[in-house]
Formats: sequence, C-alpha cells, structure tokens
Amino acid sequence: MTGLTLHGVVRAEWTKLLSLRSTRVVFAATAVLTVVFAGFIGWNQARSGDAPTVAGAFLPIDLFSLVLGVFGVLTMTGEFSSGLARATFAAVPARLPVLGAKVVALAAVTLPVLAVTCVAALLANQAFAHGDRITLGDAGVLRATAGAAAAPLAMGLVGLAVGTLLRHTALAITVFVAALLVLPAILPATLPDHVAGDVLRFVPVAAGQALYATGPDGGPFDLLAPGAAALVLAGWVALLLAAAGIALGRRDV
Amino acid sequence: MIEVTGLTKVYGRTRAVEDLSFTVRPGQVTGFLGPNGAGKSTTMRMIVALDRPTAGRATVGGRPYRDHRAPLRAAGALLDARAAHPGRTARDHLVALGHTHGIPAARADALLDEVGLAAAARRRAGGYSLGMRQRLGVAGALLGDPAVVLFDEPVNGLDPDGVLWMRTLLKRLAAQGRTVLVSSHLMSEMAVTADHLLVIDRGRLLADTSLDALIDRVGVDRVFVRGPRTDALRDLFRAHGAAVADDGAGLLVTGLDVDAIGSAATGQGLVLHELTPRRASLEQAYMELTRTGERA
Repeated sequence: MTGLTLHGVVRAEWTKLLSLRSTRVVFAATAVLTVVFAGFIGWNQARSGDAPTVAGAFLPIDLFSLVLGVFGVLTMTGEFSSGLARATFAAVPARLPVLGAKVVALAAVTLPVLAVTCVAALLANQAFAHGDRITLGDAGVLRATAGAAAAPLAMGLVGLAVGTLLRHTALAITVFVAALLVLPAILPATLPDHVAGDVLRFVPVAAGQALYATGPDGGPFDLLAPGAAALVLAGWVALLLAAAGIALGRRDV
Repeated sequence: MIEVTGLTKVYGRTRAVEDLSFTVRPGQVTGFLGPNGAGKSTTMRMIVALDRPTAGRATVGGRPYRDHRAPLRAAGALLDARAAHPGRTARDHLVALGHTHGIPAARADALLDEVGLAAAARRRAGGYSLGMRQRLGVAGALLGDPAVVLFDEPVNGLDPDGVLWMRTLLKRLAAQGRTVLVSSHLMSEMAVTADHLLVIDRGRLLADTSLDALIDRVGVDRVFVRGPRTDALRDLFRAHGAAVADDGAGLLVTGLDVDAIGSAATGQGLVLHELTPRRASLEQAYMELTRTGERA
C-alpha cells in the first residue's frame, strides 16, 4: 500500500466507470444509434437530391450530448443514492480529487468512443451521396469532426457538475434538461428580437453546436465562431465544475 | 486511538451532538450506546471527516482524519449497510476503493474470503441481502488494514450466525491491538461485546465507563427473597431501611445485600427458602442513566 495518490484516485474512478454494465451498454447503444441516424440522414438527403452537408452528418450528435449529460449526472448522483459516497469520500477525505478524477475518467472513456462515432457518422452519412462526397480532408471538416467529438463530452461534464451540486438523481436530471435544453427554447420569446440571438449563442448547447458547424446553418441566429465557441463552452464547464467543487468540499456527505 | 474534544454538530435548531469529549483506546471493544437519534452516527461521521463539526475536533491516531496520508490505513468505517453501487460486483467495488491507496486486488479477494463473500464476489451488489451488504461493508472498512475501526450498528440485519460472526470479529480486531468503536442501540448486544462503554443521549455523554462500573454506579442491584412468612419478612427489611417490592413469587429487596438479609432473617428466626442476588442488567443501568440524565 502506497497511501493516497491522485493517480490512484483516477484509477479508482476509471475502474468504477468501466465496471458498470450500464456504461458499456449506454455507450455502445448511443454510438450505434448516432451512426445509424447519420446514415439515414445521408440517405434521405441523397434521395431528395440535396447536397450532402456536414451539419446533416453531425445532427445526431445531439443525441449523444443528451445521453452523456445524463450519464455525467449519474456519475455523481449514483454515489449518493447508493450510499457509495460515504465509502468514496472516507477513502478520499479531501473530496476534490474525486471530482477531478471523475472528469479525467469520463473524458478518457468517452473521447475515444466519440472520435470513432463521429468519423463513422460522417462516413455513414456520406456513403449515400452521389458524386462529390465530403471527406475529412475538406476545409474545416476535420475541425468540425473534432468539435462533434468534444461537444458531448462538455455536456457530460456539465451533467457531472449539476449532479454534484444537486446530488439527487431525478432533480439533477430534471434541472439539467430544463436548464440546458428547454430554457434556450423558451428564452427567445422573453427577449427583444435584436437581443435574443446575442444571448442564445452563448448558451452551452449553442456553443457546443457551433463547435461542429461549418458555416451558417440557417437557424434563427448566427452561431459563434468555432474558436470562440470552444472558449465559451470551456468557460461554462469550468464555472460549473468550480461551483460543484466548492459545494462538494463544504457540504456534509 | 480516537480523541474527541468538545465535538458539536448543529443542524438548524437541532443540536445533534453537544460538546462531546471522550477517548477511545486501542486493544478493547468500546461500545457506543444510545437510543436512535442520540447522535452516534453523526459523531462517527465527524470522526472520519464525512461531516464537518460545528465546533470541536476529532482526531484519529493523533491527527484529524483528513490529514492522514493514507486515510484508509488510519481508520476504516462501516457506517451504513448501503455503501456499494448496486450495479457493481463486490469485487469491483473493493478493487476500485483500493486503487485510491494502491491496495492490490489480492487484498480485496482475501477480505471477501474472510467475510464469507468469496462465492458471491463476482455478483452485483444490488442482489445482495442486507446481511451480505453488511459483510461487504466490513470488508470495505478493513481494506486498508486500519488501526481504528468504526462500526455503526453492525449487527442490524444479520442472522444469528452473522451476529455471532460479528461479535467474534469485533473481539478479534480488538485483540489485534486495534481501536474498535461500535455503536448500538441494543444494550443486550453491548453487554456481550463491549469492554468499555460510552453512553450518549440527545447528543450528550452520559457515561464513559467499564461495563461493571456502570452497573455498580447506577446501583440498582436487588435481592430476591422467598420464605413462608412474607409479611414478617417485608416488615423486617423495611425496619432495616430497605425498599421492598412484592413480585408475587417473592420479595425484591433494594438497599440490603445478601449477607445483611440472611443475618436479619436468622436473628428473627425467620425461614428463607430462597435468597438470590439479582444484578442489574445493563438495560436497567442504562434506563436509570437516561432517566436521570446524570452526567459521568
């Protein structure tokens, strides 16, 4: 026994994540569904004679974002609902390393899956295109693919932060869906038209979508440029994780 | 060694633990006795830094639990039967917990064997009975080979075999030189396992004493006396200043010991058919303590 180490805490969280059957099932099912939907979208675009688009190929990524967000929530609320939190935080009384380790483990498990899923989604989508297909070598496509792989992870980390702040599974999932997915749909109606776009492009979901957009998507407002969107999204994740870390350190387990 | 000084925990207007000070020594089983809601669990959680004290401090092996470089080696706690994710196997649960301290998987396997879960080690904990979960919790508490062990109501949900196993385990851990603090609201359980007792009620310490000293101090010892002339015996003992109760079969005398009763009866030529000391049970001693709210 070597004593408590950060490396050990990361290894513990990695083991926890992989030793749940639900992790493997959820990731496999979501990856397959995402690719299948991308294929159907490509098929439908080709059938109706539309030119293939990157936006079309990555439209199903929203599904992955939602699933990973909920998964992120459960990563922490599962600790509290099962009572595991007492064992976890008795082993790591400093607590903050556990949150950090969950971030690292979640990223390490999801990024490879997301990278493969995004490339496969693009290929499945373009498989039905007639003539000139979009490839990873085209301008901005590699960047959009990387963005499509990163955006769901950001949602997963936001979910982890929300789960840490609220602890209760049903409450945290409700708040996550309401604040990230429903609120942006309601918000525009409460704002003057000329302000709405300026506000909406900064919400996490819009910033996430901007990561894998390759130009105006015909939506009601212009997305941020990819670089700015990455900064905004990273800011949201950092802000929420910081709040989660402070709450975790202060509250009783 | 656990040292608790002025430990206080306030939730809103509830004072769950109030200015608690005690020392738990190694090599013996210390019972932490009190009714449900007395503050036992809260105190244990504060000792292992899961709850933050409102005031006061608790140390394990001379320093606060969270300051240890290997917390699982300093103390192991079984605080609740629910301490594992239902979707994870017992083995994966222990292996993951052990990773934090670089504890090898072989240690998890050895412990699963020791607590009698070897056959169920690769089954998911969600399907475990309450008794199996307690055993898994024990394995988790012992993972770091800790110098201090805290068990909160460990016999809850155990079958008779399990209860016996738990008593033997507690005594063995103490015999190995560990500090063992075990809470219970069951006085009968404490009577057979604990060498030393901490009695608390409503967050306050009522007694910090050995088992025998507690019974002596509360002094509710009685003597059962039976003879053919009950009325004469009653009058005689009352004349000697004793309190006498009639329980139907005979007299229960408080305030005179066996020798005094025997001599008094012989002096008056009264025949005794039975003369039996009835030692106060721990339960009676405890009731007496909590009723008077007396301080140690």
